[in-house]
This record gives sequence, C-alpha cells and structure tokens, in this order.
Amino acid sequence: MRAFAAQIIPSDTSLPGADEAGAVHFIDRAFGKPFFADVVPVVRAGLADLDARARTLGERDFASLSPGRQVALMRQVERTPFFAAARMLVVIGTFADSAYGGNRQGAGWTIVGLEHQPTYSSPFGWYDARDEVNAKTDA
Amino acid sequence: MTQRTYGEGETVDFLIVGSGAAGGVLAKELATAGFDVVVLEAGPWQQPSQFTHDELAVERENAMLNLAFEPIQTIRGSEAEPARRNAGRALAYRRGVGGSSVHFAANYWRFRPIDFKERSKWGAISGTGFADWPITYEELERYYTKVDWEIGVSGAPGPFDPPRSRGYPLPPLPNKSSGVVLERAASVLGLHAQVSPLAILSKPYDGRSLCLACGHCSYYGCEFGAKSSTLATVIPKAVATGRCEIRAESTAFRVETNARGRTTGVVYWDREGKERRQRSRAVIVAANGAETTRLLLLSASSAFPHGLANSSGNVGRYIMFNGHAATFGRFDHPLNEYKGPVASRTVHDFYDADPKRGFYGGGGIDARFNYQPIGFALGVLPDDVPTWGPEYKRALADYFTHSVRFYAHITSLPMASNTVTLDHDHPDRWGRPGLCLTYTDHPDDMKAKQWFRDRTEELMHAAGAARVWNQPIIPVDGGVHLLGTARMGNDAGESVVDRYHRAHDVPNLFICDGSSFVTSGRGQPTMTIQALAFRAAEHIARFARSHEI
Repeated sequence: MRAFAAQIIPSDTSLPGADEAGAVHFIDRAFGKPFFADVVPVVRAGLADLDARARTLGERDFASLSPGRQVALMRQVERTPFFAAARMLVVIGTFADSAYGGNRQGAGWTIVGLEHQPTYSSPFGWYDARDEVNAKTDA
Repeated sequence: MTQRTYGEGETVDFLIVGSGAAGGVLAKELATAGFDVVVLEAGPWQQPSQFTHDELAVERENAMLNLAFEPIQTIRGSEAEPARRNAGRALAYRRGVGGSSVHFAANYWRFRPIDFKERSKWGAISGTGFADWPITYEELERYYTKVDWEIGVSGAPGPFDPPRSRGYPLPPLPNKSSGVVLERAASVLGLHAQVSPLAILSKPYDGRSLCLACGHCSYYGCEFGAKSSTLATVIPKAVATGRCEIRAESTAFRVETNARGRTTGVVYWDREGKERRQRSRAVIVAANGAETTRLLLLSASSAFPHGLANSSGNVGRYIMFNGHAATFGRFDHPLNEYKGPVASRTVHDFYDADPKRGFYGGGGIDARFNYQPIGFALGVLPDDVPTWGPEYKRALADYFTHSVRFYAHITSLPMASNTVTLDHDHPDRWGRPGLCLTYTDHPDDMKAKQWFRDRTEELMHAAGAARVWNQPIIPVDGGVHLLGTARMGNDAGESVVDRYHRAHDVPNLFICDGSSFVTSGRGQPTMTIQALAFRAAEHIARFARSHEI
C-alpha cells in the first residue's frame, strides 16, 4: 500500500507526497472504520493482485518492483474499482485531519499550499489585497 | 442551557415540529408573544464548541447531518421506474437544533417582486404547476427586514435589489479575491457584480462574535456563533422567555387529530425510543420539505385517508431544489478561497426570465471555491489532468489556491410528477417508512442550466482566467433546498396551506418551511423561509388571541 500511495501522490524535491504525509497510517486505521467497510475488501484483493502480477515479473511483491515497473502495473489496473477505492484512500489519508493518522506535519496542506490556521484575516489573496491598495489610492 | 420544561400531562399552546430556519423563528416569536411552546427536534442539541473543521467527518461522513437512524434514501426518475438507492443524500438536511441553518452557506438574497407573481407575468408553462403566490413581495418586505435585523445580515444595496424599508444592520464582509475577479469580469461584459448579502456578522452584533474568516461556512457549523443560524440567534431567545422548551432527540411520527378534525398534539419517540405524546392547542409543522411531507403522510387517519392536510393530493408534490451550473477558472495569482465566507459578490443581471432566451428560467451567479482539500483533490481538476502521479501532484499544488468557480443558482419549475413519497421498503431505525425522491428536470430547467453555463464561461474568460473548464451539467438527483411540497395558495383544491400557512383541511394545523414555496426563486431560499416564518408567527399569534384557531 505504501508503494502504491507513493505513486499516486509522489514525493519530489520541492513538496512532500503521500509517503511523507503518512497516508498509509491513515489507511491502516481506515480499515477498521465502518465508513470504509465497503472498500476494504476491494482494496485488499487489489493489493494482493498487484503482488501476484509482480511475482509473474519475477519479483517478490509490488513494492520490490522498480518505480517504473510499479507505474506500468498500476496503468494495467487504473480503471478498476480497486484502483478508484485505493486512490480515494490515499487522497483522504494525505489530506484528512492528522488526528486520523495521515497528513503528518500538515504535509497535505503543504502540497496544496493551504496555510493551516484556525482563522484568517483579510486580505485573503493576491486580487483582494491589490483591490484594497487600489481602494486606498482612490480615496 | 436551562430551560422551562412542560410535563407530560400539560397542554401547551403550540407544538412546533422542527427547530430549523422556520421552527426556530416561530418558537421565538410565539414564546415572546406570551404563548407556551414546545419544539420537537429529531436531532441533538449540539453546541458551537462541538463544531469542527474535520473535512472527513463533515463532508465525507456527513457527521453534521446526524443521519445514523436513517442510512438509506431512494430515488427514481418517474413512478414507472424502480426506486434505487442513492449514493449521496437525495434529500439533504441536518437533524439537530438549528436544523440546516447551522451548516448552510448563509447566502441571504431576498426574493423579488417578480418571484411572487411570475405565473401572471410569464403565462402558463406546460407540464408544470407554475402559479402565483397568494402573497406579494410588498407584503413580505417588512418581514425580510425583520430577518435582517433580528438575526444579523451583512450586506449593501445593489443595482437590481427589490425595494427595502430599512438598510442592512451590518456592513459587508471583506471582499474576497473571487469577488474582485467577478467584478472585473462583470465590468468587461457590461454587467454588475454586487455585494452578496450574508447571514454572517461583519461586526459584533447582539452579543455575538464577528466572523473570524475560518473558511468553513458551507456544510460546517460555526464555532464562533458568527453565522446567524437559529441555534445562535432566535433559539436562545426563545428559551430565555421561560415559555419555550426545545425538546431535542425527539422524533415526531404522527400528528394526532380528534373526531372534529382538529389536531390535539403530536406523538413522538424520545431519545430512548419510548413513545410519548405532547398535547397542544395547535400544531405547527416546520420540519423541512422532506420531513414535513413524511409526517403529514404518516398522520393519515380514517378522516384523512391520504395523509393529514392532503385533500388536494399535493403533499409531497412539486418538489424544487434550484438548478446549478458552473465554470471553473485558474488564475495566475493566488485567490486563497479557502479563507473567509463562501461568496462575496453576485451578478444579478440575469435574475429575470427573458422570453428571448427561448425558455423559462432566471438566476444569479456568484464566485466561490468552497472546497476543502479532499473534495478538491477528488473531484475538481480539469478532465485532462491525470488523476495520479507527478502531473496530478503538480496540479494539486497549482490549482487549489489559484482557482475559483463562477456558480449559477437557477429557478426550478414545480412539476406534479416530482415528488417526495414514503418508501415502505426502506424503513428507518424506528420502523417508519423511508423517503423516496421521484424527479425529472423540466426541459426548460435543463435549458436554463445550459444557458447559465454559457454565461459563467463567458464571465470566466472575461475575468482573465489562465485556464477555464466547465463543471458538467447533470440532471438533478437531489439537493439541499427542499421546496414546494406543501404549497401555499388560495384554492384548497390546488394547495395545502392558505396565505397564513394554515392547512386548508385542519383549522389548528399550520405548516411553515420551504414546503410552503409556490415557486423556487433563484436559489438561496433560507432568507425567504425566515421572512415567511416571521410573518406566519405574527398572524398565528393574532388568530390565537382572537380565538380563531
């Protein structure tokens, strides 16, 4: 699962990915939550299938494959219900509140550029900040 | 909060079912007028300190809606089709003190004079129950003003506003970047972007905090009490009168009637599931367009074989949700729409329907990007962006802070074939029948969505977005505005309640919520639901004093 997650939202030099976010920790816990009860068996079976496909390529399991071969295998299954369910878990694990086990050190918020604060003050963005300056100049 | 309680043997003046946008107002007004009031609320009495920003719980698991006792709703396009389970909630509303006013986005447009007499101006529309309201904007105006001042609405006049007798009590909230780019687009196209009125406090008001711009209005509860839900506004005042008991976790399942055809009270389950009875001199149902329907239909008896107040057959009919259409845009600089209230500017140039368009329909367009990161990452990016891998990751980083959506809120036509009915195959925890939505868009509603999406797309290009993509237009499969299912009218054969919200069939039964609507307006119905509730309360109190109930 961890290798799968790292291909969904990869890490790079500028921003963390699902791996740094610890999405897999979220998923471990999600497996026990009623909300995800429908997807858990689908995801388990799909991961086992990825491992089986890796073995036909002569590797021990999916995680042992090179990143390029992992991506190639994922492309083979990317239209399956398993892939959709597993991708959803990775995304939620990356961005859900860190109390659920993922989004460590706010990695998810870092990825999308969200300054995570309980409240904010105006101006919020570049356009309204400029508008305020213009309004003051006009006055 | 300590409150007056009423014993099981006591007969109160008014029993109100529902503590939401309408029920909260009715409770406060009638208790203040000196009547004894009990409010039955199916959901819990949550406090603002219990509200969180937890997106998984609120937006994915629907934690705010308190749905545990009814996991399933069904939907079908017509009566001829089998009902199927709906993936989301077809009829979405919150159970809990304050109802859906706790988690709404708080857009507070007034309806306009045209909304109440559009059938006369436009003419009949085939296949619909398009009709005038039995009241006018002019009659409702002072109650709109009452809403502004009693609950706290922030705003400023705009060029197409209906007449108002008094200004806003609070100045506008800060303009957002979305509002600035919508203003820019509107001026390029010769249109007007005006301040969006919001039931959110721009300054401290009536002992409540101003908005701290946490960015979690839509779907979430306000932990600061700055959003003007009935939980934060009228309900504490109702309780403070000492004549109103809010009975939470109490699920009404039958309005009782006597041999004279009058209501005598309501039977409900308490939080332990024990059956209880509250007697009252009159009953007011304000449970929303879906739950009001269920309660009336479940209150059938030999005297009312098709459901209480349903001699017209119109209980549950004519449901309207408001249509939507939208275009997204990504800009060169950050807008950071996750901060602050949902929307700060709206274009109302297309409010009126225009025969030149070739169909009936009108609406307003606001600018917003009310997505938290999970919802954004799972469903918003343009179709040509991969759904995983390095390019997906780059898009997550590039689009979240830099994107906005121009969002049209549009009329829905009332059709007798669009209904809320009882679903006996999917009972809830108590064994009550579940709810089934039967809905197919009127062809004009589909055309209106397409036409408005052309407008949102033009606006997005005019705003100078670097990348523009459309939200798909899909047939309505439910919604959060639950309108029209117990419509108001002068003709008892065509409507459920009269112009004072009194059931045509039952003299001491009143129905007041979104179900009273005759037409849909152009979205943002809560302001009008509350104006109706203030008006209804005044008339109901008058009837009670003069022994006309």
